[in-house]
Amino acid sequence: MIPAAFEYSRASSVDDALRLLWQHAGSAKVIAGGHSLLPLLKLRVASVERLIDIGRISELRGIGTSSGGGLSLGALTTYRDILDSAAVRSQFPLLIDVVDGIGDVQVRNRGTVGGAVAHADPASDLPAALLALDAEIVVRSQTGERTIPAAQFFEGAFVTAIAENELLTAIRIPSMSGRGGAYAKLEQPASGYSIVGVAAVVGRGGSQVRIGITGVGDVAYRAMAVEQALLASDWSDNAIRAAAAHAADGQVVASDIHADRAYRTQMAAVFTRRAIAEALRRAG
Amino acid sequence: MTAVRDEISQGPAVGQSWPRLDSREKVLGATRYAADVPVAGLLHARLVQSVYAHARIERIDTSAALAIPGVVAVLTAKDLPIKGSGDMRMFQPLATREAVFAGQPLAVVVAESEAAAEDGVQAVMVEYTPLPAAVDMEASMAVAAPVARPHRHISAQDGEMASPHAAVGHHDDVAVGEVEIGAAASPHAAVGGAADKPKLTEELSPNVIGRHWHRHGDVDAALVGSRATVSGRFETDWVYQGYLEPHGVISWSDPVNGDLVVSSGTQGVFYTRSQIAKIFGLPVTKVRSIGTPLGGAFGSKILVVEPLAVAATLLLKRPVKLALTRREDMSMTNPASGTRIELEIGANADGRLTGIKSRLVFDAGSFSEWTVESIGAVLVAGPYRWDAYDIRAYGVETNRVGTGSYRGPGGPQASFALESLMDELAARLGMDPLELRRRNAVTPGDRMVDGEGWVRIGTREVLSEIESHPLWARRNSLPAGEGVGLAVGVWPGGREAAAAVCRLEPDGSITIITGVVDMSGVASGFATIAAEAFGVSVDKVQVVATDTQGAPRSPLSGGSVVTYSAGRAVQKAVEATREKLLRYASEDLEIDSGDLEIVDGQIQPKGAPGRGKSVAELAEKLDGFGGAFEPIEGHAGALPPSLAPSVSAHLAHVKVDRETGEVKILNFVIAQDVGRALNPALVEGQMRGGVAQGIGWALLEGMPFDEQGQLLSGSLMDYALPVAGDVPRIETRIVEVPAPDGPFGAKGIGEAPVCGSPAAVANAVANALGKRVYQLPMTAPRVWAAATSGSTGRSNNGGGAG
Repeated sequence: MIPAAFEYSRASSVDDALRLLWQHAGSAKVIAGGHSLLPLLKLRVASVERLIDIGRISELRGIGTSSGGGLSLGALTTYRDILDSAAVRSQFPLLIDVVDGIGDVQVRNRGTVGGAVAHADPASDLPAALLALDAEIVVRSQTGERTIPAAQFFEGAFVTAIAENELLTAIRIPSMSGRGGAYAKLEQPASGYSIVGVAAVVGRGGSQVRIGITGVGDVAYRAMAVEQALLASDWSDNAIRAAAAHAADGQVVASDIHADRAYRTQMAAVFTRRAIAEALRRAG
Repeated sequence: MTAVRDEISQGPAVGQSWPRLDSREKVLGATRYAADVPVAGLLHARLVQSVYAHARIERIDTSAALAIPGVVAVLTAKDLPIKGSGDMRMFQPLATREAVFAGQPLAVVVAESEAAAEDGVQAVMVEYTPLPAAVDMEASMAVAAPVARPHRHISAQDGEMASPHAAVGHHDDVAVGEVEIGAAASPHAAVGGAADKPKLTEELSPNVIGRHWHRHGDVDAALVGSRATVSGRFETDWVYQGYLEPHGVISWSDPVNGDLVVSSGTQGVFYTRSQIAKIFGLPVTKVRSIGTPLGGAFGSKILVVEPLAVAATLLLKRPVKLALTRREDMSMTNPASGTRIELEIGANADGRLTGIKSRLVFDAGSFSEWTVESIGAVLVAGPYRWDAYDIRAYGVETNRVGTGSYRGPGGPQASFALESLMDELAARLGMDPLELRRRNAVTPGDRMVDGEGWVRIGTREVLSEIESHPLWARRNSLPAGEGVGLAVGVWPGGREAAAAVCRLEPDGSITIITGVVDMSGVASGFATIAAEAFGVSVDKVQVVATDTQGAPRSPLSGGSVVTYSAGRAVQKAVEATREKLLRYASEDLEIDSGDLEIVDGQIQPKGAPGRGKSVAELAEKLDGFGGAFEPIEGHAGALPPSLAPSVSAHLAHVKVDRETGEVKILNFVIAQDVGRALNPALVEGQMRGGVAQGIGWALLEGMPFDEQGQLLSGSLMDYALPVAGDVPRIETRIVEVPAPDGPFGAKGIGEAPVCGSPAAVANAVANALGKRVYQLPMTAPRVWAAATSGSTGRSNNGGGAG
């Protein structure tokens, strides 16, 4: 349980991190809380030439709210920071649902939202939430900053739209005014990762809906078939159930020792229904 | 029996709850486990493991590894200084010509640092030729099946290598402990041993290494004539013991006398000493085995890693540490067998059990010396009387890791099958399931199916405890989706020869010297026994668990042996010491020793407090030069003449989510006959721990392998152990039916709690769903599949009312 040897640089600022990334493009990995990357290194499942540690860059940590009711999460914001935020708790209960179910106390104290999003584990919870929340991911390099919609950010298992010389700096989430959100998850019993995780955001009275699903395929996705069925429905219990049955439409559903394809497909429908019902309730 | 209980209830220690002797160190994090022992000049070993379940090893290229700075040696099988021969894995700690399970160690990299050793492991190049793997246990029984260990079997035919199973023929019905080459009796030798038994002679693959047949009466006639019969086929996955501390060892050569010292988390120091001496051809007295505090063992920690470190120490003349990582530990130690049990039982209209017919197949894995189908064959009949039985059990070698003991070996699997069908049978009869069990409980004079006699045990008493529990009364008026399930667990017990020493100290305290490794609090149990027998409080007792250099002969901790057997030796050693002290006091006080008693640390004339002297005062007089009496010490041995089975009744209350198959355990009650609760807090801890593990067996824990024999749940990210949130408040009810030959009526109590718990959960799930799950663990997908299956019946394999 000792990683293979690697070089290590600690970045003192965002600019310093961007300079290091530029200098070592292609041979470096960024490390923040280390709760995804370090186990892989210790098991020697992964190896790196160099780690760039951004863990002490204070400007990257913190939760901001905009006048329009939007939320900005610095990349180094920990799960604990989110759970402790009164603003998140009152306006983004979906995020509380998500973060409360991640790992254990130690993981929540150390793990960062930027790290989890950049790692893009196919069974991690935040990608589904960001899809449903219509979030944007802010990345920066020495040549400038760009903003990537969540729908274009997650490209595959452990693959994102971040370029080699870019650093994820923040996540922006629009206001939830007039909308309700909820997250429902079936946990893999050993790891606590999602077998199925469903984030639903619903406009009051069924005016709009966005569903993000994780754990089902090799990347989190928006369940467009469910959304379309709902928008054409009366939002009755039966209509929600019928719409949720489309949760895995078009997906290559994963199969493993914890859930075979049939079970996972069915659970996607069950948890989609549960998430929508709770989001609708919260929308008021 | 009551007389014994009345007498001991007067004593100062038995029945008092107090914390384990080692609890303070453990809570403070001060305990030093096997891998923590500081040794100067230590080398670190790491293992190269096979990536195939079955492959010929063509070549192991160590040159790149040896070139890494810090790497001292890379050892393969041909390098090891092994002198003994035997079929057990400990004699073949590295694969020789072929690898027979994925994860089998192929080479040991020894380096100045652990990091260098790990780098070395990555640099060792192994060339394999994959071979057909025997993976499906049932298919591997067929004559034409791929042979899991062809090398071993061919050698045995050629007479090149001694194979215990070949030596006695494949068709003999022999218990494991009787045939091990170079092995002392297994901890379970007392269970399932059989003489003059019918033999199973059907032609099967040489993979079938164990056959056991217990037969009495005409079972087919008994079943045909029954009012009702039920049958089912039950399957259980392999299960990992899940101790917190992985296997670890440090070995070195004593710089003064040259003895080989083996310091490890072992369950038995004398067994380790004997086997290491045999493996490496050393005089047994030049080997010293030290048992370090166990961070959990549950049957697993018996000579898995020691031979590898010792081999490196002998070759390199340096101290060597091998502490497994969790992944190594899960892939190459000795989990509980996967099993398939076919079972049919029947009863008369009045609920009298008629016949039991069973075929049990246990997957022994690639090294089968600890296979336990013989125990399963006994336990599948439960603590019940049967008119007729026909029970056949098979152990089958496959290309999986070798099986080992796991707390109550064979018990959880056997109880799952039997107790599930007892519920089904009660339903067919229209009888209360508790009453069906009570009506058929064994009594003294009845025999286990292997011929061992039952002594009096508290089956009826533990059932009565459950019957009086409010949860039992509520069982038919629960909310939808909830269910309550009853099951009985039983462990036949074990017995071994054991000795102990007691020494009076100058401060009036006594020290117990034992070679028993302190597993699950047995040392604290010894302290209670000693205090009770001597007449002092437990804080006047030390227990020294020492190594083979100085300890009296002691058995391996396992099989519910040590409290019962070694505890009896402790009692007798203390009684001898007390007797000697009273003789000395008699001289000193000039009172006949028969008129003296020891009460609360005072030696006094019977019934005359205040007229004697304290034990400390007398002991002090013997300290120093010119003592007036021989040292006040006792040595005693014991071998209890009977087994002391422990029986428990379990009540699980569950809530099942039919949509997802998730099972939540709401309440759990366990009533257990513990003989005599030496320390009720520790007894309750054993009961709770057994239930927690049983919940893991029931709902979470399983080691699935793919068709190539690769373990698919090889880390704790995929192997689900029960955590605090999975385990409810566990209500314990202690029942005391003293064991005739145990210390103050006590007996081993660690195993029954795990044996009956999975079945109780299974029955609760069946009652909640109206459908039965025939497979452990009852994971959410399996429960969901049962809930959504079209079939309405609860028995998966026919059966019916006669």
